[in-house]
Amino acid sequence: MTERVLVVGELLTDRLSGSTVEAIGAGARLAGGASSVVGFLAGATARSRAPEFGRYGVTEVAILEDPACEGAPVAALVTAVVAAATELGTETILLAGTSFGRDLAGRLAARWGATAATGVTEITRVGSTLELRRPVFGGRATETRRIEGGRAVLALRPHAFPSATEAPCETRLRPIVAPAVPELLRAAHRTGLEASPGGAGPGLAEAAVVVSGGRGLRAPENFRLVEELAAALGAAVGASRAVTDAGWRPSSLQVGQTGKAVSPQLYIAVGISGAIQHLVGMMSSRVIVAINSDASAPIFKVADYGVVGDLFQILPALTNEVRRVRGQ
Amino acid sequence: MEIVVCVKPVPEGETRLRASADGASLDPEAVKFVLAGYDESAVEQALLLKESLPGSKVHAVSLGPAPRTEEVLRAAIALGCDAATWVDSGPAASPDPIDVARALAAALAPLPHDLVLLGKQAGDDEEGLVPAALAEFLGVPDVGHVVDLRWDAGRSRFTFRRAVEAGQETWEAPAPLVVALQQAWNDPRTAKLPAILKSRKVPIARVPPVALVPGVGRSQSVRFELPPPRSGARLVDFQTPEQAAEKLVKLLREEAKVFP
Repeated sequence: MTERVLVVGELLTDRLSGSTVEAIGAGARLAGGASSVVGFLAGATARSRAPEFGRYGVTEVAILEDPACEGAPVAALVTAVVAAATELGTETILLAGTSFGRDLAGRLAARWGATAATGVTEITRVGSTLELRRPVFGGRATETRRIEGGRAVLALRPHAFPSATEAPCETRLRPIVAPAVPELLRAAHRTGLEASPGGAGPGLAEAAVVVSGGRGLRAPENFRLVEELAAALGAAVGASRAVTDAGWRPSSLQVGQTGKAVSPQLYIAVGISGAIQHLVGMMSSRVIVAINSDASAPIFKVADYGVVGDLFQILPALTNEVRRVRGQ
Repeated sequence: MEIVVCVKPVPEGETRLRASADGASLDPEAVKFVLAGYDESAVEQALLLKESLPGSKVHAVSLGPAPRTEEVLRAAIALGCDAATWVDSGPAASPDPIDVARALAAALAPLPHDLVLLGKQAGDDEEGLVPAALAEFLGVPDVGHVVDLRWDAGRSRFTFRRAVEAGQETWEAPAPLVVALQQAWNDPRTAKLPAILKSRKVPIARVPPVALVPGVGRSQSVRFELPPPRSGARLVDFQTPEQAAEKLVKLLREEAKVFP
């Protein structure tokens, strides 16, 4: 069956988000080739950025050139995505599982008469049935859900799917004429943005490598040891609840049950004992490294590699070694 | 202000998980169900707004099976919610998340609602789909990842911040609005004993489950698996910090193949 899959693109300031490129790859496997994937982009720059889909073999991109889509609730976008899906006759929409995709998925599914799932790590198609796997309970269990026909909106967990392979091609644009969005749904709007400290680095949810620091760092000024290692690795910085509660770093960096859930390729926990509230936010990372002076800390039970030692000595040595190996 | 707060019973964080006999869902035996962590924040936020705006009411709504759903609604009343509605889901183990939103919207639509508050996602299935889908069915805007929600009475607007990947955004919106809260930026209160005792006598409205809408996509949980227990970290042995660093980087590059 050559059913087309719509991939809703998320634009960062200078490129398609890495999670979008993963969604293109997943869509290509699901639809039997990148040429059966149709991209979707909205915003003032939709037309000029559409060719970025072409780098991965996507030949057609639906665009909505509406600057009002930026800094507006996703409700404004949903109408256009539904219009594109209807025109194309697709039954499946894939999204990056970042906050963008997660915000969009619920409303999109409700409007489109679809089911939806987030945090998806595997998709298998058998005939008209889709089977999805997704971690639940903070990575403590895996759920398999089955969709027997019908429309589906799937937000993919960052890093769960390999990126689409590069296969540059020409892209055809399909401008979408979307019905006007009711004023009520446009009423909520953004009035300002304060970039995260270290905002130049990758976002926590999307980063392939995350270095997190905890209470073991003892004082706010020591947190720079974590940030230096993260900078050397090109990693995002995270923190345990103890650190954000104490105000050493903003709560936007908190990894855990009451903060962000992350699932990078590599997670390095520094001076973090491993309370369950932290573990549920990072346990589905692919490889976990723990650095802690207390050999009995629970973090060592979930880590793949451990260094039991004084982090004030280990961290600077590790940062130097990373710089040396990465040729910095 | 009329505030509705949606809550969900989830297994307590420390619960030992076990698959049910047919392997399709969590075995609810011996599981203590509590108010989801994000929902506790949502209740606290609702109560803070109620206390700052005289004449406000907070109505708690929950969908799920007996007896856990009624229990979390009583917990919400004990914390200070004024009324509660239980949407009885019947015994279905894990309904489709969009069906859940549809049923909640049907129960909530007749209630006055200037503001509908929810936790961003529940700690069990972690879907996070209900807030936006509920807003769509109610025909009102929604915003997610919200912290620090306030009501600006002078301008009749909510003001709040959103914690997203790029940083902190500031937003404003008029009522009605559906808000999914990011995290416990507030410090949720605990119920006092007299309030807990009193909450047992408060009547809870029960809404029968809604019939499933035909012809829409629908998912169903078919397997629930626990990962094999982790064997514990392989410890790097070393004499000097430099040696520890060198060995660790080598393991990450050559064995785990995750060194960037």
